[in-house]
Amino acid sequence: MHISWEYPPWVVGGLSQELKALLPEIAKKVRTTLVVRGDRDEVSEVDGVRTFKSASSIRSSPHILAYIHALNIDLVRAASAAVHEDGDFPIVHTHDWVSGLAGVYLKSCFGAPLVTSVYTTELTRSKALGSLLSMGIFDIERHCFNRADLVVVKSLEMREHLKENFGVERRRIVLARNADELIEAYRGIQD
Amino acid sequence: MTVLSFTDGTSEKRERADGVEIVRVNPYVMRYPDFVSWIEGLNMLMVECAADLGSFDLIHVHDWLTAYSGIALKHMWRRPLVATIHATELGRRKVLTNDSERHIHEMEWWLAYEAWRVICCSKYMMNEVHSSLGCPIDKISVIHNGYDPKMAKSNRKGSSGKNGKTVLFVGRLVYEKGPHLLVEAASLLKDKDFRVIIVGDGAMRPYLEGLAKKLGVSDRVTFLGHVDDETLLSIYKEASVLVIPSLYEPFGIVVLEAMSLGIPVIVSNTGGLDEIITEGKDGLKFQSGSPEGLARAITKILEDEGLMARLVENAKSRAKEFSWDTTADQTLDLYKKVLEEYNANNWKPRAGLR
Repeated sequence: MHISWEYPPWVVGGLSQELKALLPEIAKKVRTTLVVRGDRDEVSEVDGVRTFKSASSIRSSPHILAYIHALNIDLVRAASAAVHEDGDFPIVHTHDWVSGLAGVYLKSCFGAPLVTSVYTTELTRSKALGSLLSMGIFDIERHCFNRADLVVVKSLEMREHLKENFGVERRRIVLARNADELIEAYRGIQD
Repeated sequence: MTVLSFTDGTSEKRERADGVEIVRVNPYVMRYPDFVSWIEGLNMLMVECAADLGSFDLIHVHDWLTAYSGIALKHMWRRPLVATIHATELGRRKVLTNDSERHIHEMEWWLAYEAWRVICCSKYMMNEVHSSLGCPIDKISVIHNGYDPKMAKSNRKGSSGKNGKTVLFVGRLVYEKGPHLLVEAASLLKDKDFRVIIVGDGAMRPYLEGLAKKLGVSDRVTFLGHVDDETLLSIYKEASVLVIPSLYEPFGIVVLEAMSLGIPVIVSNTGGLDEIITEGKDGLKFQSGSPEGLARAITKILEDEGLMARLVENAKSRAKEFSWDTTADQTLDLYKKVLEEYNANNWKPRAGLR
């Protein structure tokens, strides 16, 4: 089960395009479900991926951290529906902290292994933690990354970055640049 | 019954008190830019903790502060969610002026929407939750608060009067509690002989001290700040009358404490206070927001000892109608009803989930 805050046609940044390329490829080989924010609650089949869309329940937040946390409660809502309607999921896979929070909630209740892909971090985006908001996001990222059974990165630099700044041990980090490498990594934690 | 709460590290993480298992979560493992994200972080840690505690038949959360974890657990566990809404952001502020306040208001809406049933402590709050959060009225149950009768055991035999007549205010010094109305009322009664004691602290204290000075009553208005229970009891013993001039008061437990202690009360005709007190029978009421009305009520009560005695007598029996035992019984009945409805429904967790 993949969880993301964006997937085309809902596009915020590069993550949606990344997943649009990746998920249909994974779905050709293993049963794949996507939980994602949408305009309304809806279950459908997109590119061979069973998709649970979840509408945002609230509109106003003082900043992105508060907004994303509330949005992740909606993602938990849809992910829970997927679990109870569709059956158990062997793995929950979140993407960056923006859906990593939902992963923390779901892992605690369902116990499925948690995989988190990290594309960027507050440090790579902001260079320095120059505000309380940045510090808050950094700490949430730390919490999410350290709850993951496996952290997926696309470069050796990111692996070093996570090790040095977020305390993610080398054994929990895997380099996976495409669907095949990712499926291989999934097999690794299931064994 | 397990209560999940918060600690800043100074209280036990886990303890059993009065037959209740209390588990506390310390959110200070992360930094938060503001109160909203602090609450969200606390909720995430609470959910992680709740999952470790095992399984529960029903989840009961209080206010928006734990709405996030209540909603998440409801969906993950597929167990019914009961919510007590003690007060609302719109009620406290009257107007939502920034995104934090709007976020809180919307979280309250979301909680009322997701809850199987909503509990309010007064009819006033039921109407407020209905009108400001769009919650269907037939989803709301009114269960009154109680008060701690331990407070009432001290034997009060009327004020000794050796310090003259005393008008007392007990509460946080914030706008919604209306302490400024008492200071203003005191300034309207300069020809009357009484003093005002204000117990409690809050952001408004410097303003109130300035106001008392400006209105020329600083010699008869004393600010005591926060006091311990023992001191409070001795202050109660000396008081001629307790004034609760709230502009917003979902319930008002302090009025029950005063009534049970045998202190005559003057309350504003708002919120829960308006439901607890019957004018002229067990207390006096004045128009909420009107220092003139409060001044009239103070005059009436201080000048009529017969009235004072009648009010005190009736108030004691009225207060007995409220107790935490009754609150608990009514809450348990509500749990039973919710679980009956839940069991008759096909919204259930998938079989075989841990």
